[in-house]
Amino acid sequence: MKVKKKLFGGFWILLLVVILAACSGDSEADGNDKESDDSDSNSDEQVTLTYARGVDTTGATEVLAEAFEKEHPNIKIEFQEMPSDSGEQHDQYVTAFSAKSAEIDVFDADVIWPAEFAQADYALDLDRFIEADDIDMDAYFEGTVKAGNFKGKQWAMPKFTDAGVLFYRTDIVDDPPETWDELIEQADELKGEKDTEFGYLMQASQYEGLITNAVEYIGAYGGAVLDEDENVVVDSPETVKAIEKMQEIVGSDFVPSNILNFTEIETESAFIEGNAVFARNWPYLQASSNDEDKSKVAGNVGFTTLPAGDDGSASALGGWMSMINRYSEHPEEAWEFVKFMTGPEGQKITAVDGGSAPTLVDLYDDEEVQDAGVTFSEPDFVEVLENAIPRPVSPIYPEISDIMQIELSKALTGDITAEEAAGNMQTKIEDAMED
Amino acid sequence: MKKRRFQLNEKQLGYAFVLPSLLLVFVVILWPVAQSFWNSMFDYRLNDPTRSEKMMDANIDLETYVDNYFFIESQLDALADTAVGDQDKQTIHEIEDGIEKHHSELISDKQVKEKVDKVDKLLMRYKPVNNTDLKYQKVDNDFAADYRKALSSYEQDLVAIAESSGDKDAQADFQQTADLLGSTNEAILKSNFIGFDNYKKYFKDKRMWQSLGNTTFFTVISVFFELVLGLLVALLINRTFKGRGLIRASVLIPWAVPTAVAAMMWGFLYDGQSGIVAHYLDVLKIIPGSSWLLSTGDGGLFSIILADVWKTTPYMALLILAGLQTIPGSLYEASDVDGANKFQQFFNITLPLLKSSILVALLFRTLDAFRVFDLIYVLTGGGPANSTESISVYAYKTMFAQQNFGEGSTLSVIVFLCVALISFIYVKLIGSELFAGRTK
Repeated sequence: MKVKKKLFGGFWILLLVVILAACSGDSEADGNDKESDDSDSNSDEQVTLTYARGVDTTGATEVLAEAFEKEHPNIKIEFQEMPSDSGEQHDQYVTAFSAKSAEIDVFDADVIWPAEFAQADYALDLDRFIEADDIDMDAYFEGTVKAGNFKGKQWAMPKFTDAGVLFYRTDIVDDPPETWDELIEQADELKGEKDTEFGYLMQASQYEGLITNAVEYIGAYGGAVLDEDENVVVDSPETVKAIEKMQEIVGSDFVPSNILNFTEIETESAFIEGNAVFARNWPYLQASSNDEDKSKVAGNVGFTTLPAGDDGSASALGGWMSMINRYSEHPEEAWEFVKFMTGPEGQKITAVDGGSAPTLVDLYDDEEVQDAGVTFSEPDFVEVLENAIPRPVSPIYPEISDIMQIELSKALTGDITAEEAAGNMQTKIEDAMED
Repeated sequence: MKKRRFQLNEKQLGYAFVLPSLLLVFVVILWPVAQSFWNSMFDYRLNDPTRSEKMMDANIDLETYVDNYFFIESQLDALADTAVGDQDKQTIHEIEDGIEKHHSELISDKQVKEKVDKVDKLLMRYKPVNNTDLKYQKVDNDFAADYRKALSSYEQDLVAIAESSGDKDAQADFQQTADLLGSTNEAILKSNFIGFDNYKKYFKDKRMWQSLGNTTFFTVISVFFELVLGLLVALLINRTFKGRGLIRASVLIPWAVPTAVAAMMWGFLYDGQSGIVAHYLDVLKIIPGSSWLLSTGDGGLFSIILADVWKTTPYMALLILAGLQTIPGSLYEASDVDGANKFQQFFNITLPLLKSSILVALLFRTLDAFRVFDLIYVLTGGGPANSTESISVYAYKTMFAQQNFGEGSTLSVIVFLCVALISFIYVKLIGSELFAGRTK
C-alpha cells in the first residue's frame, strides 16, 4: 500500500515538472534580443571582424589578413581557430549559429555544408552583394559554384578546391592504369616490387571519406545518389556495379588487411613510407610525398586522374567555401573580406602561401601560382578539378552521409551484398527526405 | 512574556532546512530530464526553419513571410503585364485578390500589424530578426490551413501557366513567382507536436535495437571482467607487503588518464599494421589476424571492452578495497583458531561481508558503462559497419551532427529509462541488503 502511495506521489511530481517545462519551452531564445539601431555602417568607423576556420599550419591566413587590412584600414580581422576535423568543426558551428550567436562574422565551410546552412538560416545569401559588385561567377570552376548554390541563391563563395586523384610510384609503374580493372590488375602484379607491401590504398573506414571514395566509383560507373531534382536514384544497376567494384578491391589481398580503418592519415603515412604502389588521396599528398625530410619516396611520385569505370573517370569535389554568418553585425564589411579572400588576390595568397588549389580558372596561368604547387602547372590537374563531381547537395546531407556510411561499410565488411546496400540506401534516404 | 509572532513546528522546520536541497534536486536532476522528455514529443530540428521551434499551434515565420510578401505584389503586377491571353490575366488577378484578402485578415489584428511593421523595418535595413517573439506569430489553425491551401493552389496555377507558355523568359518569370509562393507557403508553420510518434519510430528502428544490444553486451561483459579483476587486485593490495603504497598508487593510473586520451592510445596499440597489442595478440594466436581488432565488428567490440576493462578495473578495485578494510581482522583470527583454511575464510567471511560494497560498485559501474560514449566515439566512431555503435553515440549523432533535437531527445530519454530500470533493480537488491533495518 505504502509503495503504491509513493509511486503516485512520484507520478504527480513528474507530471508537474512536465507541465512546467511545457509552459516555459519557448522562453530560452529571447535573451539575445538586440535591436541595435546605431550600427548603420559608416566606412570610417573601425570594425573588427571575427573570421573562423580550421587550424591552419601554413600561415597563409595571417598573410591574407594582413594584405586585407592594408587595403581596408578600417577593418581589423581577428582569427578564430577551429578544430582541424571537419565533422567537429561542423558541430561547433551549428551549436553557435543555432543559438543565433553574432560572435563569428566570416567562416570557411566544407563544400558539403552550404545547403544545410542555407536551409537552417545560418548564412547570409550573397546574391545582392555579387550583383552590386559585379562578380563574374563564370570565372570560377562550375562545380565549386554549384556547391555553394541552394534553391537558386548563392550562399557561399568558393575559396579553394580539391579533388581526388590517383598517386603512383614512378619508379615502379610505367603506364598508370586507365580503368579500375587495369588498376586491379596492375596493383596485384606490382605489389611487392621495391619493398612495397600493398598494391593500392584508399579510404574505407566508416567516416565521411568513405563517401568521397564511393561517390567516385558510383560516378565512374554512371550512377548517382540524387538527381538534379533531388530525387533519390541510388538504387540502380550502375551503383550496384560500383559497390561491387569497391568490394572487389577492399576484399583483395593487394590492399592492407586493415583497409577498413584507413582514412587519409593512414593512407599518407603508408604511402610516404614506401609501402604502396598506388594510392587514392587528395592533391596535398603530392607535396608531402615529395618532401625529402619525411618521405622515403621523394622524387618517385606521380599522379593522374582516377581510373575510369564504364562511364569515364570521376573524382569527388572537396575544398572549402567562405560564408557569412546570418547574424553578423557587420555584413557589409564581412562581404568585403569574403570578396577579397575569394577574389584573385586572396586566392593567390591561399595558393602561394597555403598550397591550396584556386577555384578561379585564370589563376592557373599565373606564374607565381604555377611555381607554388607542383600540381598547379599540370593541365591534367586543372582538368580533374574542372570535372570534379560534388557529393549529394541537400539540406539533410549529414543524415544522407550517415546512412551511406553505414550501408557502404556493411557492404565492404561483407555483411550485406551490393544490391542490398543500394536498396537500403534508396529506401532510407527516401524516408529521411520525406520526414 | 514576549509573544512570538511566528513559529515553525519541528516538522515544518525540518522541511525548511531540506528545501534548498530539494530545489537543487529539482533544478539539476528532474528539470533536464523533463525538458528532454518534452523535446522528444516534437518534430524539432534546429536546421530546418519550419521546425526549429517547438510549436503547439500554427505559427507564421514573420521574417520570411514579410520578406516574401514585399516581392509578391510587384512580381504579380509584372506578370499581369507580360501575361498573354485574358484567362492568364484573370488568374493572376484572382491570385492577387486572394493573397490580399488573406493578408489583410492576418494584419486585421492590431498586434500582428505592429509586429509586421517592425519586422518590415528591420528587413529594410538588412537586419536579421533575432527576437523569437517578434519572428514567430501564433495564428489560428484554420486560418493557417486555409492560407496554405490557397497559396499552394496559386502556386500550381502559376506553374501550369509557366508550362503552357512558349516564351522562355516568361516561363522563367512565372516559375520564379511560383517558387516565391511556395516559399511563402513554407513560412506558415504547422504545429510540430507529434506526441509519442518519435517513440513509435524508434521502437521499430533496427538501428536503435542494435545499438541498445551493443550497449547491453558491452555493459555486461566489461562489468563482469572488471568485477573479477577488481576483486583480485583489491585482495592483493589489501595485504601488507613491501612497496604496497607504490602499487596502490600505480594501480590507479589507468583510471586517472582521460578517456579520450586513453582511447587514442589504444587506437595506436590496436592498429592493424603497427599496433603492438594487435601484433602480440596475433602472435599468441588469441585473435585471427592483427587487423581483426578494428576492422571487424566482433573485433571492434572486443577492443572496446578490453580498453574499458583496462581503464576502469582500478576504480572497481578501489571501491572493493574500501569494503575490505571495514572487515574486522578479529573475524579472521577467530576462524584461524577454528581451523578454517584460506578458501573457507574467503567464501564464508570476506565475500558475505563484501556483498554490499560489491553491489554499490556494480551499480556505479553498470550505470557508467551503459552510458558509454567517449571511448567508442574516439576509438571506432561506431564502425565498422556500425557494429560498435552504442546508444549514446547514436543519440549524439542524431542530436548534434544532424541537429535533430526531437529524435535525439527521444534517444536520450530511452537511455534514461534504461538507466532508471537498472538503478531500480540494483536499489531493490541493495535495499534489501544494505538498508534493511538501518534506515530508522
